[in-house]
Amino acid sequence: MITSPAPSQTAAARQWFLGRGDLDALVEAIRATGRRVIGPTIREGAIVYDEIQAAADLPAGWRDEQSAGRYRLERRNDERVFGYTVGPTTWKRFTFPPNLTIATSHRTSFGFEQHIDPPPSVAFVGVRACEIAALGIQDRVFLGSQFTDEDFRARRAAAFIVAVQCTTCSSTCFCTSMGTGPEVRGGYDIMLTEIEDGFVMAAGSPDGAAIVAKLPTRKPTHAEAGSAVDKVEAVRTQMGEPLPMAGIGERLKLQLDHPRWGQVADRCVECGNCTMSCPTCFCTSVVEKSDLDGKNSSTERQWDSCFDVAFAKVAGGDFRARPRDRYRQWLTHKFSSWWDQFGSSGCVGCGRCIAWCPVRIDVREELAAIAPPIPPVVHPVAVEPVAASPGTYSLARLASIRSETEDTTTLSLTDLDPAFLAGRPGQFVMIALPAFPAVPISISRFRADHIDLTIRAVGPTSTALDNLHPGAKVGLRGPLGTFWPIEEAYGRHAVVVAGGVGLSPLHGLVDALVANRDRFESVSLFYGSRTPEDQLFREDLAAWSSSKAIDVAVTVDRAGPEWKGRVGVVTTLFDMISWDCSKVTAFVVGPERMMQSSVQGLISKGVPADRICVSMERHMECGIGLCGHCQMAGRFVCKDGPVFRLDELGDMFNREGI
Amino acid sequence: MHARAMDDYSAVIAMLNHTWFGAELSPETQERLARLGELQDFEADEVILHEGDDAREMGILISGRLALRTLVPERGPVTILSVEPGDIFGWSAVLADTQAQSTVVATQPSKALVIEGIRLRAALKDDHALAASLYPRVLKAVARRLRATRLQLLDLFAR
Repeated sequence: MITSPAPSQTAAARQWFLGRGDLDALVEAIRATGRRVIGPTIREGAIVYDEIQAAADLPAGWRDEQSAGRYRLERRNDERVFGYTVGPTTWKRFTFPPNLTIATSHRTSFGFEQHIDPPPSVAFVGVRACEIAALGIQDRVFLGSQFTDEDFRARRAAAFIVAVQCTTCSSTCFCTSMGTGPEVRGGYDIMLTEIEDGFVMAAGSPDGAAIVAKLPTRKPTHAEAGSAVDKVEAVRTQMGEPLPMAGIGERLKLQLDHPRWGQVADRCVECGNCTMSCPTCFCTSVVEKSDLDGKNSSTERQWDSCFDVAFAKVAGGDFRARPRDRYRQWLTHKFSSWWDQFGSSGCVGCGRCIAWCPVRIDVREELAAIAPPIPPVVHPVAVEPVAASPGTYSLARLASIRSETEDTTTLSLTDLDPAFLAGRPGQFVMIALPAFPAVPISISRFRADHIDLTIRAVGPTSTALDNLHPGAKVGLRGPLGTFWPIEEAYGRHAVVVAGGVGLSPLHGLVDALVANRDRFESVSLFYGSRTPEDQLFREDLAAWSSSKAIDVAVTVDRAGPEWKGRVGVVTTLFDMISWDCSKVTAFVVGPERMMQSSVQGLISKGVPADRICVSMERHMECGIGLCGHCQMAGRFVCKDGPVFRLDELGDMFNREGI
Repeated sequence: MHARAMDDYSAVIAMLNHTWFGAELSPETQERLARLGELQDFEADEVILHEGDDAREMGILISGRLALRTLVPERGPVTILSVEPGDIFGWSAVLADTQAQSTVVATQPSKALVIEGIRLRAALKDDHALAASLYPRVLKAVARRLRATRLQLLDLFAR
């Protein structure tokens, strides 16, 4: 229900008192609006969030005992309803379900139709300050850019929030360090603070005020209002001095080679508990399920974890193969690169990752060891939900299909949304077929009313695309990502270096360089492939070679005696460079190791790093940075890339496991 | 193969100056090389060295293109590297009693300065200035080839 946090003054301006025995009236009043009520319950020895029918379902008279790797429930000596902190579940389970059918598709004679179910109306009872902050953080992740998660938006909009200010804390809590609690600053419909005999209440929205108006409340006494404030303040005191978090993002960036990463990885069992119990982690994997005939399919999203050994396995291989790399990714993402991506920390200080770590890794200790403390300065951050814009698939028709090599084809698509034709070389699209997961594909060529996508058949989707016939309909989203900064090469020697299918995202660039030839001192293409048979766009290569607009040099890694051309890796072609390399602007795409060698070769020739552009297209996954798989050095390749200038990546380009 | 008379070394030196191998050598060393070697022309498909034969000659390719091939059982001859103008071939001849590591074939009409191994080794032994200039370049050529071979071994474009 809440779209922006209410200021704390508003909450304090009008307060009510609700007796503990009348709490059920609150649950009933909410249920009367047709909402399912979700709240804390006890299951298998832990406080978990689940549907409740009445206030009696809430765990009155219980407290929790938490420390690193330990969680126990114990009886209280009173009947407080919210006398514990957070358990293993999080509210994202309901706004961002762990398993979700995000779309079902039915193939029609015209293409395919998609259907998305509307979410249920719910109320969350017992949402803590740190958890409201976490919901706000996920608002930024899912709704804060041009690419949005509409299911999340609907679930968030359908949720009525009953916040509870913490009047107790665990040894694992550190919300004061993250500036998220213990006081609730906004983002609620109703706020409760539990005192001796009941609750001091405030309304944070018109819907909340309407519910409060139906309850048997009275104005709180000065003592009751004061008690509520004191209890929350006591929690702040109980948590002790905040952790020294100032500058933690930059400090972590300076410690990427700290030996502690390896030491903590030796302890870590990579169970993923920390990510599954984290209220802000958002990485997912998407699987496509279909009937055997492919007419009906569903797209299902599941939570994923960056600790999973296969999480960073992308088209270019597993770029985070070591446990230390995966732990470093998680910690630096939470406390450093999250700021770069979303303008906030990715941690709210709830402490779940500490309590539920089976080997008792305490993130606070790791931060102190890896990025040593600096004088404590805490900057409370109100994480505000932000507006969003939708992203959808549109249909395109396959006009023709052309075989490039044994396993690579070029699809020429037409009947497009005009936006695709206005794309720039280097950008990509997400292409979808019913029953197959959507995949990112670079646009290899822009024509008057077509775009070309060159696809190597390596997985189920690309194989299915490879088998399409002209006239088939496909779903497209895009054009996405950054593009080649061709203007930066004006007046300079433009050098294009391609390896294998890496020529595909460069084809459009070469077209643009040739079309604007007068703007460049010279234009050269160096292209290496595995064998002569693996060369893409052979007709275009021949046409370019015969033109005077561009110098083309090709080489292959191996060949039979019938091949009379060059044999050797693509870097051997750099011997042909005779220009002042300080005036070269280079564009490089290929397998990672080939790009590294090429970049080293260009730099050794004197090409400035800020004049070398690379495309990390093989890291792309969902296309819009929401699934998290494409993260590399704190950047979402899908959203911040795939084209980067080398100086933007810095030493991350060659660093293992980033 | 067609050898030319070497009565005008200045033309050979001019050609060396257009190669990375010979461009930065001193004029004296360039002339020494020109006198040691013999300018030879090769026709397309002409075999210059056979894999396994005694390495009798080292050459500096002036123009054209050579292929270094090795015989792979059941696959026949496979080209593992091409030699472009400026680079050397038959570098094993710098060492005594060695065999050619691959078969060298001209894939197009080519011209090279070819130096007999015995004469080259004797000159390197006697002329320390020549040795000091030549060895680093031979080593650079071998290092480039080694680096390229390593990358090829990685099979960068493998599926």
